[in-house]
Amino acid sequence: MLVSYNWLKDFVKLEVEPHALAEKITRTGVEIAEVKHPATGLKKLVAGHVLTCVKLEGTHLHQCMVDVGEVDPIQIVCGAPNVAADEMVIVALHGARIAGNEKIKRGKIRGMVSNGMICGLQEIGFSDSVVPMKYRDGIFIFPEGSDIQPGEDVYHALGMDDYLLDFDITPNRADTLSMEGAAYEVGAIIDQPVKVEPVSLKADGPAWTSTLTAEVDAKLAPKFYLRKVTGVKITESPLWLQTRLWNAGIRPVNNVVDVTNYVMLLTGQPMHAYDARTFKTGKLSVRLAKPDETLTLLNEKKVVLDPADIVITDGDQPVMLAGVMGGLNSEVMPDSHEVILETAVFDGTLVRKSALRHANRTEASSRFEKGINWDNTQKALDMAALLLRNEAGATILDGVLKGSDTKRKPVTVKTTFSYLNKVLGTTLTTDQVVTLFNRLKFETQVARDQLTVTVPARRWDIMIPADLVEEVGRLYGYDNLKSTQPLLAETQGGYANFELFMRHVKHFLQGQGLMEALSYSLTSKARATLFTKAVQPVAEVKMPLNSSRSVMRQNLLTGLVDAASYNFARKETELAFFEQGRTYDHADGQFNEHEHVATLYSGHVYRNNWEHDEAPVDFYFVKGQLENLFTTLGLTGIEYRAEKITGMHPTRTAGIYVQGDYVGFIGMVSHTLTQTEKPLRNSELYGYELDLEQLSHYLPTSTQAKPAPKFPAMSRDLSVLVDQAQSNQSVMAAIRQAAGNYLVKLSVIDVYQGDHLAAGKKSLAYQLTFLNENATLTDDLVNEKMAAVTTALETNLQASVR
Amino acid sequence: MDLLEKLDQLRARGLEKINAAADTQKLNDVRVELVGKKGALTEILHAMREVAPERRRQVGQLVNEVRDLFNEQLAQTRHDLAQALIAQKLEAEKIDVTLPGKRLSLGAKHPVYLILDDLEALFIGLGYQVVQGPEIETDHYCFEMMNLPKDHPARDMQETFYIDNENLLRSQTSGDQARVLEKHDFSQGPLKMVGPGKVYRRDDDDATHSHQFMQMEGLVVDRNVSMSDLKGTLEMIAKHLFGADRKTRLRPSYFPFTEPSVEMDVSCFNCDGKGCSICKETGWIEVLGAGMVHPNVLENAGIDASIYGGFAFGLGLDRFAILKYGVDDIRDFYTNDVRFLAQFRQEEK
Ligand SMILES: [Zn+2]
Repeated sequence: MLVSYNWLKDFVKLEVEPHALAEKITRTGVEIAEVKHPATGLKKLVAGHVLTCVKLEGTHLHQCMVDVGEVDPIQIVCGAPNVAADEMVIVALHGARIAGNEKIKRGKIRGMVSNGMICGLQEIGFSDSVVPMKYRDGIFIFPEGSDIQPGEDVYHALGMDDYLLDFDITPNRADTLSMEGAAYEVGAIIDQPVKVEPVSLKADGPAWTSTLTAEVDAKLAPKFYLRKVTGVKITESPLWLQTRLWNAGIRPVNNVVDVTNYVMLLTGQPMHAYDARTFKTGKLSVRLAKPDETLTLLNEKKVVLDPADIVITDGDQPVMLAGVMGGLNSEVMPDSHEVILETAVFDGTLVRKSALRHANRTEASSRFEKGINWDNTQKALDMAALLLRNEAGATILDGVLKGSDTKRKPVTVKTTFSYLNKVLGTTLTTDQVVTLFNRLKFETQVARDQLTVTVPARRWDIMIPADLVEEVGRLYGYDNLKSTQPLLAETQGGYANFELFMRHVKHFLQGQGLMEALSYSLTSKARATLFTKAVQPVAEVKMPLNSSRSVMRQNLLTGLVDAASYNFARKETELAFFEQGRTYDHADGQFNEHEHVATLYSGHVYRNNWEHDEAPVDFYFVKGQLENLFTTLGLTGIEYRAEKITGMHPTRTAGIYVQGDYVGFIGMVSHTLTQTEKPLRNSELYGYELDLEQLSHYLPTSTQAKPAPKFPAMSRDLSVLVDQAQSNQSVMAAIRQAAGNYLVKLSVIDVYQGDHLAAGKKSLAYQLTFLNENATLTDDLVNEKMAAVTTALETNLQASVR
Repeated sequence: MDLLEKLDQLRARGLEKINAAADTQKLNDVRVELVGKKGALTEILHAMREVAPERRRQVGQLVNEVRDLFNEQLAQTRHDLAQALIAQKLEAEKIDVTLPGKRLSLGAKHPVYLILDDLEALFIGLGYQVVQGPEIETDHYCFEMMNLPKDHPARDMQETFYIDNENLLRSQTSGDQARVLEKHDFSQGPLKMVGPGKVYRRDDDDATHSHQFMQMEGLVVDRNVSMSDLKGTLEMIAKHLFGADRKTRLRPSYFPFTEPSVEMDVSCFNCDGKGCSICKETGWIEVLGAGMVHPNVLENAGIDASIYGGFAFGLGLDRFAILKYGVDDIRDFYTNDVRFLAQFRQEEK
């Protein structure tokens, strides 16, 4: 809400300038998002009295002579459709500045001198949304009786010399959504008395309450008060009223509507005015809407009502969507003479849902949903009636019709001074605390350490001792609190073991030269289950923002392929990414999350290589990187099995198994995928993805040191000719089995297939390293082992050994 | 010719030849020719018979002198030749040390994780446990346990991705608080935890909104934890992240799970508090929300709020990264453009 600094002065003595006040309020109560001063940047805008106005034939222009308080009237050529003689208007003189820092200069229009410009409100900085409809497409005309003379600056008369404090309230501080509420808050903050006056009203018409029966469901509307006024003359509101509305961001409409809005701004109590002809059957009811009922709102939006909408009816048809907006069928019209005024308390939750459901939030609905002051029902109603007597010549009929009148007990909160001090970390005395509550105008009762606070209805946010802590803390000043560290028993900070493991993997990969990526967890349905060996039921959100972000990923590689595509499109093709994050599924009827890590490589092993050592990244490079990861983690018993994984190259992909259990896969991203993604066409992307939870089960516990071997090792080379289909892994397994325990290392030293070999054959060469940790190995023993290996290979794998 | 004259000539000629030898091969030839078994000096010695006996001694001495001279000179030249050869070889091996090195790819930490790791280290040092909870959270833990019952208006403030009526993508890490509070055994000491992780909101992605981002939740609960402790902790976080010279202020705010609730602002980095477009002319930039744990949250987790109390804070890691590194579009954190990511390497500490 925009709170007028000048209006605030009606309630509180303000000795602090607006910006300093805003800072104080921000630190103590409600954030002031901005202090607006509408006159900022404007210059030489004065009132002018149009003496003559001649329409120029064949144009839309008018030649006007305008009294701007100088000796002679000045000539202004004006194109506005509503300019006419005898109007009081806004004149931008020669040298003036208007909105947008635009400068106005004397000039010639159609050969005629124009000494300035007659302005519309938008031209001097008003938002289109607050300009009265009749001035929206033309110039502004001061209402008759406005207290302004030709030549006088317009800022004061239009409320533009004011400072408007934008109260950016949190939901609990809706009490400041009114001038009175804001005044109480400001008074407490700056420690000044607050002058909020009661309304005393004497009806001057006959009693009316027997002419209407109001049947009100008190659960929907705990309070529902009506008054009737007659003899209303619908006109434009006086300028003082209009300025207060538009400075608060509300468009002036006519005196009746404006009065209801004004009373809402003043008291926080939303109001409604009905044309009394609406209730010609003498009936009114407040109930839930029936299925298929419809209502056209004042903004001409036709809504189909929901059985959870509260409506006010004329005994039959809905005439108002309660707390949100009136119906067109009960609107106060230019010819309305009798008006029924309503102040009520509606169920906040139902109003909020109505406003949301019909996408029709209003000043009124936002107040009902956040809560309103139950004590203001009568006052607001009387205030509105009084204003209509003053501004619309209304006669106030005697009596208030109360369709419901639920009473609320004042809230009292009990606490102790020691509790307040303990939570705040302060040593405030009883007197200090009581003084703070006095500033808030809260009644207190003190009995030694006990404190009982009676909370006025205007502060419905306060219910429990913690709320009192806040009131004391903020008024005492958060700036005045000490800055301390908790003095607690010692705790040991740190990570759980699995968290440590994940961070270790991340650091290692980063050290290996991979760049950390961060992708979205939500992806498309199709991508969510790519790169996944065992696809599970997906976790899918009900109302996705779009279909490409609708399902929680079951793999990380998708995000990295997206990242590759993004970078390739920008000619960045040398990539080494890793991402550590979760995958999500809905297996076995529950939602599961798994910590994974994935990598993606493209381009070359070396970057920017002028030596033309252009080793491209390939399967074996990436596998080497992965093997180093496994080595550093101390994992053993790892097996790679050629495997098909959706999204991966069918003959260049392996499943990774640790001690027989699947932990992930490694390979090349499939052509099918890279060919359909334009930037990735013809690229080779390699990568792997691991389930870190699975892996963590096989981590060694702790290292038991043993001395470095005292005896030398012995190496032998072995060349094996096998069928091409035979995997290295099977050959190595056979060698290991036959070579016995002294074989400590087995490496592939050459792979050859080609011209010099028989078709369908390949040659694999290995180096075998033998070591006996307790004695020197003899040649004889090693020869014996080599012979055993040869026999095993020949018999089991039909290999020939050279 | 007199033998002595011959010797003189040989000396002169010999030295000339030694000096003229261009390589070790030629030098060896010269050596053989001069001092070899059948060389010139030997020849002169053979001619000694022609010399008068009383002069033989003198001539013999002279021959020895010339031999020594030759050997010395040969050694010197051999050394020089060897040196020249090494120099030549080294010259041939010369490389341009100003050419660039052969580089493997260089790793980098993601900027949001830079912030995360930095904060984790800070909190671990202060005795906080790092705890992670599920991202697919139940309505119960994400909202109800956090004092946000079904019809609470604050639920509209954060549009949530629901999976079904009970399960959702967490819109805040606060659910971790509830889970930890339920489990904590206060007889084992105070509760101090931080919970980092991803959160999700139904916001369309633009420069300042992201449907996914990272938060870190903090929670300290014990018998004597005060708002002054909260203030001190928050100021430490702000100064750690944004510099000791930043001014801070606490403002009252509202969160359903804390009471009182506050937000912390730091003085604008850009204008140092004078007011500019980045801080919307206020001189302050909002960095975090916090408060004293709402008694309902404690009671919901079965903790006696009349005995125990504490504070909680929520840190937006993406927002911190945006502020600290001057990033102007939050989407830059999620597109993984290597040119963007590479620039944060130097931030690692
Ligand atoms: Zn600034």
